Amino acid sequence: MKQKILPYLLLAPMMLIMGVLVFYPIAATFSYSLKKWKLTAPGDIRFIGFDNYKNILKSESFWYSLQNTLFLLVLVVVATSILGVLVSLFLNIQVKGAGILLAVAVLPWALPPYVNGILWRFVFHSGYGFMNKVLIGLGMVDKPVEWLTSRWMLLVVVAIVVVWRSVPFMALVCLAGRQSIPHGLYEAAKIDGAGTFQIFRRITFPLMLPFIGIGITSTSVTAVNVFDEIVALSGYSDMGKNILVESYLTTFTFLDFGKGSAVTYLVMFVAAILGVFYLKSLNKEVEY
Amino acid sequence: MKYLKKTGYIVSLLVFLFLVLGPFIWTFVISVTPEYAMFAKTTDLLPEVVTFDNYMEIFSGGRRGGLILTGIVNSLKAVATTLIVGIPVCMLSAYALSRMEFKGRNLIRNLLLITMVIPVMATIIPLFRLFVARELLDNVFWLSLVYVSSYLPLITWLMSDYFATIPKELEEAAWIDGCGRMNTFFRIIVPASYPIILSAALIMFLNTWNQFQIPLILASSLETKPIAIVVSEFMTKDSVQYGLTAAAGIIAVIPPAVTALIFRRFLISGMMGGAVKG
Repeated sequence: MKQKILPYLLLAPMMLIMGVLVFYPIAATFSYSLKKWKLTAPGDIRFIGFDNYKNILKSESFWYSLQNTLFLLVLVVVATSILGVLVSLFLNIQVKGAGILLAVAVLPWALPPYVNGILWRFVFHSGYGFMNKVLIGLGMVDKPVEWLTSRWMLLVVVAIVVVWRSVPFMALVCLAGRQSIPHGLYEAAKIDGAGTFQIFRRITFPLMLPFIGIGITSTSVTAVNVFDEIVALSGYSDMGKNILVESYLTTFTFLDFGKGSAVTYLVMFVAAILGVFYLKSLNKEVEY
Repeated sequence: MKYLKKTGYIVSLLVFLFLVLGPFIWTFVISVTPEYAMFAKTTDLLPEVVTFDNYMEIFSGGRRGGLILTGIVNSLKAVATTLIVGIPVCMLSAYALSRMEFKGRNLIRNLLLITMVIPVMATIIPLFRLFVARELLDNVFWLSLVYVSSYLPLITWLMSDYFATIPKELEEAAWIDGCGRMNTFFRIIVPASYPIILSAALIMFLNTWNQFQIPLILASSLETKPIAIVVSEFMTKDSVQYGLTAAAGIIAVIPPAVTALIFRRFLISGMMGGAVKG
Protein backbone atom coordinates (compact mmCIF):
# COMPACT_ATOMS: atom_id res chain seq x y z
CA MET A 1 0.00 0.00 0.00
CA LYS A 2 2.77 2.36 0.97
CA GLN A 3 4.51 1.71 -2.35
CA LYS A 4 1.37 2.77 -4.18
CA ILE A 5 1.12 6.14 -2.50
CA LEU A 6 4.82 6.98 -2.57
CA PRO A 7 5.06 8.23 -6.19
CA TYR A 8 2.13 10.58 -5.61
CA LEU A 9 3.71 11.85 -2.42
CA LEU A 10 6.93 12.58 -4.30
CA LEU A 11 5.02 14.40 -7.01
CA ALA A 12 2.83 16.32 -4.58
CA PRO A 13 5.02 19.43 -4.12
CA MET A 14 5.41 19.79 -7.87
CA MET A 15 1.71 19.26 -8.53
CA LEU A 16 0.85 21.80 -5.86
CA ILE A 17 3.12 24.48 -7.34
CA MET A 18 2.02 23.76 -10.89
CA GLY A 19 -1.63 23.59 -9.91
CA VAL A 20 -1.72 26.92 -8.10
CA LEU A 21 0.71 28.88 -10.24
CA VAL A 22 0.20 27.42 -13.72
CA PHE A 23 -2.89 25.28 -14.30
CA TYR A 24 -5.34 27.31 -12.28
CA PRO A 25 -4.18 30.63 -13.82
CA ILE A 26 -4.40 29.23 -17.35
CA ALA A 27 -7.99 28.20 -16.75
CA ALA A 28 -8.75 31.49 -15.02
CA THR A 29 -7.30 33.48 -17.92
CA PHE A 30 -9.72 31.68 -20.22
CA SER A 31 -12.67 32.54 -18.05
CA TYR A 32 -11.53 36.19 -17.91
CA SER A 33 -11.34 36.23 -21.68
CA LEU A 34 -15.07 35.52 -21.84
CA LYS A 35 -15.92 38.52 -19.69
CA LYS A 36 -16.30 42.22 -20.13
CA TRP A 37 -13.87 43.33 -17.47
CA LYS A 38 -12.12 46.66 -17.38
CA LEU A 39 -10.44 47.82 -14.21
CA THR A 40 -11.54 51.32 -15.17
CA ALA A 41 -15.17 50.18 -14.88
CA PRO A 42 -15.10 47.81 -11.89
CA GLY A 43 -18.87 47.83 -11.50
CA ASP A 44 -19.47 46.46 -14.96
CA ILE A 45 -18.07 42.94 -15.06
CA ARG A 46 -20.18 40.43 -16.93
CA PHE A 47 -20.07 37.35 -19.14
CA ILE A 48 -20.07 38.24 -22.83
CA GLY A 49 -19.10 34.95 -24.50
CA PHE A 50 -16.65 35.29 -27.34
CA ASP A 51 -17.20 39.01 -27.89
CA ASN A 52 -13.66 39.89 -26.79
CA TYR A 53 -12.24 37.53 -29.40
CA LYS A 54 -14.55 38.93 -32.08
CA ASN A 55 -13.52 42.49 -31.25
CA ILE A 56 -9.85 41.63 -31.29
CA LEU A 57 -10.08 39.92 -34.66
CA LYS A 58 -11.78 43.05 -35.99
CA SER A 59 -9.25 45.47 -34.51
CA GLU A 60 -6.48 46.89 -36.65
CA SER A 61 -4.11 46.93 -33.69
CA PHE A 62 -4.23 43.13 -33.44
CA TRP A 63 -3.47 42.52 -37.11
CA TYR A 64 -0.69 45.08 -36.96
CA SER A 65 0.96 43.29 -34.06
CA LEU A 66 0.34 39.89 -35.64
CA GLN A 67 2.17 41.12 -38.76
CA ASN A 68 5.07 42.15 -36.56
CA THR A 69 5.07 38.76 -34.82
CA LEU A 70 5.12 36.91 -38.14
CA PHE A 71 7.77 39.20 -39.60
CA LEU A 72 9.99 38.54 -36.59
CA LEU A 73 9.23 34.82 -36.73
CA VAL A 74 10.31 34.44 -40.35
CA LEU A 75 13.37 36.66 -40.09
CA VAL A 76 14.58 35.14 -36.82
CA VAL A 77 14.07 31.53 -37.88
CA VAL A 78 15.74 31.91 -41.27
CA ALA A 79 18.74 33.89 -39.98
CA THR A 80 19.19 31.74 -36.87
CA SER A 81 19.15 28.52 -38.90
CA ILE A 82 21.75 29.70 -41.41
CA LEU A 83 24.05 31.26 -38.82
CA GLY A 84 23.54 28.38 -36.38
CA VAL A 85 24.69 25.81 -38.94
CA LEU A 86 27.69 27.96 -39.90
CA VAL A 87 28.72 28.52 -36.29
CA SER A 88 28.35 24.80 -35.52
CA LEU A 89 30.67 23.90 -38.41
CA PHE A 90 33.11 26.52 -37.14
CA LEU A 91 32.97 25.18 -33.58
CA ASN A 92 33.47 21.65 -34.85
CA ILE A 93 37.01 22.46 -36.02
CA GLN A 94 39.44 20.88 -33.56
CA VAL A 95 41.75 23.54 -32.14
CA LYS A 96 43.34 24.35 -28.81
CA GLY A 97 40.92 26.21 -26.59
CA ALA A 98 37.84 24.85 -28.39
CA GLY A 99 36.14 24.51 -25.00
CA ILE A 100 36.53 28.21 -24.26
CA LEU A 101 35.28 29.11 -27.73
CA LEU A 102 32.21 27.00 -27.13
CA ALA A 103 31.59 28.84 -23.85
CA VAL A 104 32.02 32.21 -25.53
CA ALA A 105 29.54 31.12 -28.18
CA VAL A 106 26.99 30.35 -25.48
CA LEU A 107 27.31 33.76 -23.80
CA PRO A 108 24.54 35.63 -25.66
CA TRP A 109 22.12 32.85 -24.70
CA ALA A 110 23.09 33.03 -21.03
CA LEU A 111 22.53 36.74 -20.46
CA PRO A 112 19.38 38.74 -19.64
CA PRO A 113 17.51 39.34 -22.92
CA TYR A 114 16.47 42.78 -21.72
CA VAL A 115 20.08 43.78 -21.07
CA ASN A 116 21.07 42.31 -24.45
CA GLY A 117 18.57 44.73 -25.96
CA ILE A 118 20.21 47.61 -24.12
CA LEU A 119 23.69 46.59 -25.32
CA TRP A 120 22.48 46.56 -28.90
CA ARG A 121 20.64 49.81 -28.43
CA PHE A 122 24.02 51.45 -27.92
CA VAL A 123 25.30 49.79 -31.08
CA PHE A 124 22.31 51.01 -33.09
CA HIS A 125 22.02 54.40 -31.41
CA SER A 126 20.42 56.85 -33.79
CA GLY A 127 23.07 59.50 -33.17
CA TYR A 128 26.70 58.58 -33.36
CA GLY A 129 26.33 55.00 -32.17
CA PHE A 130 28.72 52.27 -33.27
CA MET A 131 26.87 51.34 -36.47
CA ASN A 132 26.55 54.94 -37.61
CA LYS A 133 30.17 55.71 -36.79
CA VAL A 134 31.30 52.78 -38.88
CA LEU A 135 28.96 53.50 -41.79
CA ILE A 136 29.89 57.19 -41.85
CA GLY A 137 33.57 56.38 -41.41
CA LEU A 138 33.39 54.07 -44.42
CA GLY A 139 31.54 56.74 -46.35
CA MET A 140 28.47 54.54 -46.88
CA VAL A 141 26.03 57.13 -45.51
CA ASP A 142 26.34 60.92 -45.06
CA LYS A 143 24.35 61.38 -41.90
CA PRO A 144 23.41 59.09 -39.00
CA VAL A 145 20.73 56.51 -39.79
CA GLU A 146 17.66 56.53 -37.55
CA TRP A 147 17.61 52.82 -36.78
CA LEU A 148 14.84 52.70 -34.23
CA THR A 149 12.23 55.14 -35.45
CA SER A 150 10.67 53.38 -38.43
CA ARG A 151 8.69 50.18 -38.18
CA TRP A 152 10.57 47.74 -40.39
CA MET A 153 14.03 49.02 -39.55
CA LEU A 154 13.21 48.69 -35.85
CA LEU A 155 11.92 45.16 -36.35
CA VAL A 156 15.06 44.22 -38.26
CA VAL A 157 17.17 45.45 -35.33
CA VAL A 158 14.93 43.53 -32.88
CA ALA A 159 15.39 40.45 -35.06
CA ILE A 160 19.18 40.91 -35.04
CA VAL A 161 19.22 40.97 -31.23
CA VAL A 162 16.94 37.93 -30.97
CA VAL A 163 19.03 36.07 -33.55
CA TRP A 164 22.14 36.93 -31.56
CA ARG A 165 20.56 35.26 -28.52
CA SER A 166 19.11 32.28 -30.45
CA VAL A 167 22.13 31.26 -32.54
CA PRO A 168 24.03 29.68 -29.58
CA PHE A 169 21.31 27.10 -28.92
CA MET A 170 20.86 26.38 -32.62
CA ALA A 171 24.63 26.00 -33.04
CA LEU A 172 24.91 23.64 -30.05
CA VAL A 173 22.09 21.43 -31.30
CA CYS A 174 23.66 21.34 -34.77
CA LEU A 175 27.07 20.65 -33.26
CA ALA A 176 25.62 17.67 -31.40
CA GLY A 177 24.15 16.56 -34.70
CA ARG A 178 27.42 17.02 -36.55
CA GLN A 179 29.37 15.10 -33.93
CA SER A 180 26.94 12.21 -33.96
CA ILE A 181 27.76 11.46 -37.60
CA PRO A 182 30.06 8.42 -37.69
CA HIS A 183 33.55 9.31 -38.85
CA GLY A 184 33.65 6.30 -41.14
CA LEU A 185 31.11 7.88 -43.47
CA TYR A 186 33.53 10.70 -44.25
CA GLU A 187 36.43 8.37 -44.87
CA ALA A 188 34.34 6.27 -47.20
CA ALA A 189 33.23 9.38 -49.11
CA LYS A 190 36.80 10.59 -49.46
CA ILE A 191 37.92 7.22 -50.81
CA ASP A 192 35.11 7.44 -53.35
CA GLY A 193 36.54 10.79 -54.39
CA ALA A 194 33.84 13.17 -53.10
CA GLY A 195 34.75 16.87 -52.81
CA THR A 196 34.24 19.07 -49.75
CA PHE A 197 31.00 20.61 -50.97
CA GLN A 198 29.63 17.28 -52.12
CA ILE A 199 30.39 15.76 -48.72
CA PHE A 200 28.52 18.62 -47.04
CA ARG A 201 25.52 18.30 -49.36
CA ARG A 202 25.29 14.50 -49.36
CA ILE A 203 26.38 13.57 -45.84
CA THR A 204 26.72 16.41 -43.34
CA PHE A 205 23.61 18.38 -44.20
CA PRO A 206 21.06 15.55 -44.54
CA LEU A 207 22.28 13.83 -41.37
CA MET A 208 22.18 17.10 -39.44
CA LEU A 209 18.67 17.83 -40.67
CA PRO A 210 16.74 16.25 -37.76
CA PHE A 211 18.84 18.29 -35.34
CA ILE A 212 18.31 21.45 -37.37
CA GLY A 213 14.60 20.61 -37.08
CA ILE A 214 14.78 20.62 -33.28
CA GLY A 215 16.65 23.92 -33.39
CA ILE A 216 14.13 25.50 -35.76
CA THR A 217 11.08 24.57 -33.71
CA SER A 218 12.69 25.77 -30.50
CA THR A 219 13.73 29.01 -32.20
CA SER A 220 10.16 29.52 -33.46
CA VAL A 221 8.81 29.30 -29.93
CA THR A 222 11.42 31.88 -28.88
CA ALA A 223 10.57 34.17 -31.80
CA VAL A 224 6.84 34.17 -31.05
CA ASN A 225 7.55 34.95 -27.39
CA VAL A 226 9.91 37.90 -27.94
CA PHE A 227 9.14 40.61 -25.42
CA ASP A 228 12.20 41.92 -23.56
CA GLU A 229 14.16 42.99 -26.63
CA ILE A 230 11.25 44.93 -28.10
CA VAL A 231 10.75 46.81 -24.85
CA ALA A 232 14.50 47.48 -24.53
CA LEU A 233 14.76 48.86 -28.05
CA SER A 234 11.53 50.78 -28.46
CA GLY A 235 9.93 51.09 -25.04
CA TYR A 236 6.23 50.34 -25.10
CA SER A 237 5.69 52.19 -28.35
CA ASP A 238 2.94 51.03 -30.66
CA MET A 239 5.30 50.84 -33.59
CA GLY A 240 7.31 47.75 -32.73
CA LYS A 241 4.72 45.80 -30.74
CA ASN A 242 4.14 42.12 -31.40
CA ILE A 243 1.15 40.20 -30.04
CA LEU A 244 2.74 39.66 -26.64
CA VAL A 245 3.42 43.36 -26.19
CA GLU A 246 -0.12 44.03 -27.43
CA SER A 247 -1.43 41.66 -24.79
CA TYR A 248 0.66 43.37 -22.11
CA LEU A 249 -0.47 46.85 -23.18
CA THR A 250 -4.14 45.86 -23.36
CA THR A 251 -4.03 44.32 -19.91
CA PHE A 252 -1.71 46.50 -17.89
CA THR A 253 -1.80 49.87 -19.64
CA PHE A 254 -5.43 49.99 -20.76
CA LEU A 255 -6.45 47.80 -17.83
CA ASP A 256 -8.80 45.73 -19.97
CA PHE A 257 -8.41 42.34 -18.29
CA GLY A 258 -11.06 40.65 -20.43
CA LYS A 259 -9.64 41.65 -23.78
CA GLY A 260 -6.04 41.23 -22.62
CA SER A 261 -6.79 37.66 -21.57
CA ALA A 262 -8.33 36.95 -24.95
CA VAL A 263 -5.26 38.30 -26.78
CA THR A 264 -3.12 36.07 -24.57
CA TYR A 265 -5.19 33.05 -25.52
CA LEU A 266 -4.67 33.82 -29.17
CA VAL A 267 -0.88 33.96 -28.62
CA MET A 268 -1.06 30.73 -26.69
CA PHE A 269 -2.86 29.09 -29.57
CA VAL A 270 0.00 29.98 -31.92
CA ALA A 271 2.60 28.89 -29.35
CA ALA A 272 0.80 25.59 -28.71
CA ILE A 273 0.84 24.68 -32.40
CA LEU A 274 4.60 25.30 -32.50
CA GLY A 275 4.95 23.46 -29.21
CA VAL A 276 3.38 20.29 -30.57
CA PHE A 277 5.93 20.30 -33.39
CA TYR A 278 8.68 20.87 -30.86
CA LEU A 279 7.68 17.95 -28.65
CA LYS A 280 7.31 15.73 -31.72
CA SER A 281 10.74 16.66 -33.03
CA LEU A 282 12.25 15.88 -29.64
CA ASN A 283 10.76 12.43 -29.48
CA LYS A 284 11.95 11.44 -32.93
CA GLU A 285 14.79 8.95 -32.93
CA VAL A 286 17.66 9.58 -35.30
CA GLU A 287 18.75 6.59 -37.36
CA TYR A 288 21.60 6.03 -39.75
CA MET B 1 46.38 24.96 -49.32
CA LYS B 2 47.20 24.53 -45.64
CA TYR B 3 48.14 28.20 -45.37
CA LEU B 4 44.85 29.19 -46.99
CA LYS B 5 42.91 27.05 -44.55
CA LYS B 6 44.66 28.59 -41.59
CA THR B 7 44.02 32.13 -42.77
CA GLY B 8 40.39 31.23 -43.38
CA TYR B 9 40.09 29.90 -39.86
CA ILE B 10 41.65 32.98 -38.30
CA VAL B 11 39.39 35.29 -40.28
CA SER B 12 36.28 33.39 -39.23
CA LEU B 13 37.53 33.32 -35.64
CA LEU B 14 37.89 37.11 -35.65
CA VAL B 15 34.46 37.63 -37.22
CA PHE B 16 32.95 35.26 -34.66
CA LEU B 17 34.60 37.00 -31.69
CA PHE B 18 33.65 40.41 -33.06
CA LEU B 19 29.99 39.47 -33.44
CA VAL B 20 29.71 37.82 -30.02
CA LEU B 21 31.78 40.23 -27.95
CA GLY B 22 31.32 43.45 -29.93
CA PRO B 23 28.19 44.68 -28.11
CA PHE B 24 29.83 44.15 -24.71
CA ILE B 25 32.99 45.99 -25.70
CA TRP B 26 31.03 48.87 -27.21
CA THR B 27 28.78 49.17 -24.17
CA PHE B 28 31.84 49.16 -21.95
CA VAL B 29 33.35 51.94 -24.06
CA ILE B 30 30.15 53.97 -23.62
CA SER B 31 30.18 53.35 -19.87
CA VAL B 32 33.66 54.91 -19.49
CA THR B 33 33.08 57.79 -21.90
CA PRO B 34 32.32 61.18 -20.32
CA GLU B 35 28.71 62.21 -20.91
CA TYR B 36 29.63 65.17 -23.16
CA ALA B 37 31.71 63.02 -25.53
CA MET B 38 29.32 60.11 -25.69
CA PHE B 39 27.66 60.65 -29.02
CA ALA B 40 29.87 63.47 -30.27
CA LYS B 41 29.81 63.94 -34.00
CA THR B 42 32.97 62.06 -34.69
CA THR B 43 33.75 58.71 -36.21
CA ASP B 44 36.45 58.01 -33.63
CA LEU B 45 35.49 54.80 -31.90
CA LEU B 46 37.35 55.38 -28.65
CA PRO B 47 36.95 58.41 -26.36
CA GLU B 48 39.88 60.73 -25.70
CA VAL B 49 39.16 60.86 -22.00
CA VAL B 50 38.22 57.84 -19.90
CA THR B 51 36.16 58.15 -16.73
CA PHE B 52 35.00 55.58 -14.20
CA ASP B 53 32.50 57.95 -12.58
CA ASN B 54 29.55 55.76 -13.54
CA TYR B 55 31.00 52.74 -11.79
CA MET B 56 31.99 54.87 -8.80
CA GLU B 57 28.43 56.10 -8.51
CA ILE B 58 27.08 52.56 -8.47
CA PHE B 59 29.51 51.18 -5.92
CA SER B 60 29.59 54.22 -3.66
CA GLY B 61 25.87 53.66 -3.09
CA GLY B 62 24.72 56.99 -4.52
CA ARG B 63 20.99 57.56 -4.78
CA ARG B 64 20.58 56.31 -8.33
CA GLY B 65 23.58 54.01 -8.34
CA GLY B 66 22.42 52.39 -5.11
CA LEU B 67 19.28 51.14 -6.85
CA ILE B 68 21.46 48.91 -8.99
CA LEU B 69 23.06 47.26 -5.97
CA THR B 70 19.58 46.73 -4.49
CA GLY B 71 18.53 45.12 -7.78
CA ILE B 72 21.51 42.78 -7.66
CA VAL B 73 20.77 41.79 -4.07
CA ASN B 74 17.11 41.17 -4.97
CA SER B 75 18.13 39.02 -7.93
CA LEU B 76 20.51 37.01 -5.74
CA LYS B 77 17.79 36.46 -3.14
CA ALA B 78 15.48 35.19 -5.86
CA VAL B 79 18.23 32.91 -7.20
CA ALA B 80 18.79 31.42 -3.73
CA THR B 81 15.06 30.85 -3.22
CA THR B 82 14.51 29.24 -6.61
CA LEU B 83 17.42 26.86 -6.03
CA ILE B 84 16.40 25.90 -2.50
CA VAL B 85 12.81 25.23 -3.51
CA GLY B 86 13.29 24.14 -7.11
CA ILE B 87 16.06 21.57 -6.95
CA PRO B 88 14.49 19.24 -4.31
CA VAL B 89 11.01 19.50 -5.83
CA CYS B 90 12.34 18.67 -9.30
CA MET B 91 14.47 15.79 -8.04
CA LEU B 92 11.59 14.13 -6.21
CA SER B 93 9.26 14.48 -9.20
CA ALA B 94 11.91 13.31 -11.64
CA TYR B 95 12.62 10.27 -9.49
CA ALA B 96 8.96 9.32 -9.38
CA LEU B 97 8.50 9.90 -13.11
CA SER B 98 11.60 8.02 -14.21
CA ARG B 99 11.82 5.15 -11.74
CA MET B 100 8.33 4.28 -10.59
CA GLU B 101 5.31 2.69 -12.20
CA PHE B 102 1.99 4.23 -11.25
CA LYS B 103 -1.33 5.20 -12.69
CA GLY B 104 -1.38 8.52 -14.53
CA ARG B 105 2.36 8.67 -15.04
CA ASN B 106 2.17 9.48 -18.73
CA LEU B 107 -0.62 11.97 -18.18
CA ILE B 108 1.42 13.88 -15.60
CA ARG B 109 4.51 13.76 -17.81
CA ASN B 110 2.67 15.14 -20.81
CA LEU B 111 0.87 17.81 -18.82
CA LEU B 112 4.23 19.01 -17.54
CA LEU B 113 5.79 19.05 -20.99
CA ILE B 114 2.98 20.97 -22.62
CA THR B 115 3.41 23.86 -20.18
CA MET B 116 6.94 24.35 -21.48
CA VAL B 117 5.67 26.26 -24.48
CA ILE B 118 2.99 28.32 -22.80
CA PRO B 119 3.85 32.03 -22.74
CA VAL B 120 4.15 33.78 -19.39
CA MET B 121 1.29 36.11 -20.26
CA ALA B 122 -1.14 33.18 -20.17
CA THR B 123 -0.78 32.84 -16.42
CA ILE B 124 0.22 36.29 -15.31
CA ILE B 125 -3.15 38.06 -15.20
CA PRO B 126 -4.72 35.78 -12.55
CA LEU B 127 -1.40 35.71 -10.72
CA PHE B 128 -1.33 39.49 -10.68
CA ARG B 129 -4.81 39.50 -9.12
CA LEU B 130 -3.72 36.90 -6.59
CA PHE B 131 -0.61 38.91 -5.70
CA VAL B 132 -2.63 42.10 -5.30
CA ALA B 133 -5.31 40.41 -3.19
CA ARG B 134 -2.75 38.77 -0.88
CA GLU B 135 -0.40 41.76 -0.83
CA LEU B 136 2.51 39.77 -2.21
CA LEU B 137 3.91 42.36 -4.59
CA ASP B 138 6.83 43.03 -2.26
CA ASN B 139 7.54 39.41 -1.49
CA VAL B 140 10.61 37.77 -3.03
CA PHE B 141 9.57 34.28 -1.92
CA TRP B 142 6.31 34.21 -3.87
CA LEU B 143 7.89 35.90 -6.86
CA SER B 144 10.57 33.20 -6.86
CA LEU B 145 7.93 30.51 -6.60
CA VAL B 146 6.40 31.81 -9.83
CA TYR B 147 9.83 31.55 -11.46
CA VAL B 148 10.15 27.99 -10.16
CA SER B 149 6.80 27.07 -11.69
CA SER B 150 8.13 28.13 -15.08
CA TYR B 151 11.32 26.02 -14.79
CA LEU B 152 9.79 22.90 -13.23
CA PRO B 153 8.87 21.14 -16.46
CA LEU B 154 12.25 21.55 -18.17
CA ILE B 155 14.33 20.75 -15.09
CA THR B 156 12.18 17.77 -14.12
CA TRP B 157 12.54 16.46 -17.64
CA LEU B 158 16.32 16.95 -17.64
CA MET B 159 16.63 15.13 -14.35
CA SER B 160 14.36 12.24 -15.19
CA ASP B 161 16.32 11.68 -18.40
CA TYR B 162 19.48 11.59 -16.33
CA PHE B 163 18.09 9.29 -13.64
CA ALA B 164 17.11 6.86 -16.36
CA THR B 165 20.81 6.41 -17.17
CA ILE B 166 21.72 5.31 -13.62
CA PRO B 167 21.82 1.47 -13.61
CA LYS B 168 18.76 -0.04 -11.89
CA GLU B 169 20.94 -2.80 -10.43
CA LEU B 170 22.56 -0.32 -8.05
CA GLU B 171 19.21 0.42 -6.46
CA GLU B 172 18.01 -3.16 -6.52
CA ALA B 173 21.12 -4.33 -4.69
CA ALA B 174 20.39 -1.79 -1.98
CA TRP B 175 16.75 -2.90 -1.68
CA ILE B 176 17.87 -6.48 -1.20
CA ASP B 177 20.10 -5.25 1.60
CA GLY B 178 16.97 -3.88 3.23
CA CYS B 179 17.30 -0.26 2.22
CA GLY B 180 13.96 1.54 1.80
CA ARG B 181 12.94 3.35 -1.32
CA MET B 182 13.70 6.83 0.00
CA ASN B 183 16.89 5.63 1.56
CA THR B 184 18.19 4.42 -1.80
CA PHE B 185 17.13 7.68 -3.36
CA PHE B 186 19.28 9.67 -0.96
CA ARG B 187 22.18 7.22 -0.81
CA ILE B 188 22.43 6.14 -4.42
CA ILE B 189 20.53 8.41 -6.80
CA VAL B 190 21.43 11.77 -5.23
CA PRO B 191 25.21 11.19 -5.02
CA ALA B 192 25.28 9.80 -8.54
CA SER B 193 23.53 12.84 -10.00
CA TYR B 194 25.68 15.74 -8.97
CA PRO B 195 26.48 16.68 -12.63
CA ILE B 196 22.80 17.09 -13.49
CA ILE B 197 22.11 18.92 -10.22
CA LEU B 198 24.86 21.37 -11.10
CA SER B 199 23.52 21.77 -14.65
CA ALA B 200 20.02 22.34 -13.34
CA ALA B 201 21.26 24.85 -10.78
CA LEU B 202 23.10 26.77 -13.50
CA ILE B 203 20.08 26.90 -15.77
CA MET B 204 17.89 28.07 -12.89
CA PHE B 205 20.44 30.66 -11.81
CA LEU B 206 20.69 32.12 -15.32
CA ASN B 207 16.95 32.11 -15.90
CA THR B 208 16.25 33.79 -12.58
CA TRP B 209 18.92 36.39 -13.16
CA ASN B 210 17.45 37.09 -16.60
CA GLN B 211 13.83 37.54 -15.52
CA PHE B 212 12.08 40.59 -16.89
CA GLN B 213 8.50 39.92 -17.93
CA ILE B 214 7.29 38.26 -14.71
CA PRO B 215 8.81 40.85 -12.30
CA LEU B 216 7.66 43.65 -14.59
CA ILE B 217 4.16 42.71 -13.47
CA LEU B 218 4.63 40.97 -10.12
CA ALA B 219 7.47 42.98 -8.54
CA SER B 220 6.45 46.55 -8.00
CA SER B 221 8.38 47.41 -4.87
CA LEU B 222 11.98 48.28 -4.19
CA GLU B 223 12.33 45.11 -2.12
CA THR B 224 11.67 42.79 -5.04
CA LYS B 225 12.73 44.50 -8.28
CA PRO B 226 15.45 42.41 -9.94
CA ILE B 227 18.41 43.84 -11.80
CA ALA B 228 16.89 43.81 -15.30
CA ILE B 229 13.91 45.84 -14.10
CA VAL B 230 16.19 48.37 -12.40
CA VAL B 231 18.19 48.75 -15.61
CA SER B 232 14.96 49.23 -17.55
CA GLU B 233 13.91 52.03 -15.24
CA PHE B 234 17.13 53.88 -15.97
CA MET B 235 16.24 53.65 -19.62
CA THR B 236 12.71 55.01 -19.34
CA LYS B 237 13.27 57.86 -16.87
CA ASP B 238 12.73 61.28 -18.41
CA SER B 239 16.39 62.02 -18.87
CA VAL B 240 18.07 58.88 -20.09
CA GLN B 241 21.45 58.51 -18.48
CA TYR B 242 23.35 56.55 -21.06
CA GLY B 243 26.60 56.26 -19.15
CA LEU B 244 24.98 54.96 -16.00
CA THR B 245 22.70 52.63 -17.96
CA ALA B 246 25.69 51.24 -19.85
CA ALA B 247 27.63 50.69 -16.62
CA ALA B 248 24.58 49.02 -15.06
CA GLY B 249 24.24 46.81 -18.13
CA ILE B 250 27.85 45.72 -17.91
CA ILE B 251 27.48 44.96 -14.19
CA ALA B 252 24.28 43.02 -14.87
CA VAL B 253 25.95 40.71 -17.38
CA ILE B 254 29.13 40.00 -15.42
CA PRO B 255 27.72 37.45 -12.90
CA PRO B 256 25.96 35.27 -15.48
CA ALA B 257 28.80 35.61 -17.98
CA VAL B 258 31.48 34.58 -15.48
CA THR B 259 29.36 31.72 -14.19
CA ALA B 260 28.67 30.48 -17.70
CA LEU B 261 32.36 30.56 -18.60
CA ILE B 262 33.50 28.77 -15.43
CA PHE B 263 30.86 26.05 -15.47
CA ARG B 264 30.65 25.79 -19.25
CA ARG B 265 30.76 22.00 -19.34
CA PHE B 266 27.77 21.60 -17.03
CA LEU B 267 25.88 24.43 -18.67
CA ILE B 268 26.25 23.02 -22.14
CA SER B 269 25.34 19.49 -21.11
CA GLY B 270 22.29 20.92 -19.35
CA MET B 271 21.22 22.92 -22.40
CA MET B 272 21.66 19.92 -24.64
CA GLY B 273 20.06 17.45 -22.25
CA GLY B 274 16.73 19.14 -22.82
CA ALA B 275 17.07 19.15 -26.58
CA VAL B 276 19.00 16.12 -27.69
CA LYS B 277 18.70 12.77 -26.05
CA GLY B 278 21.68 10.59 -25.37
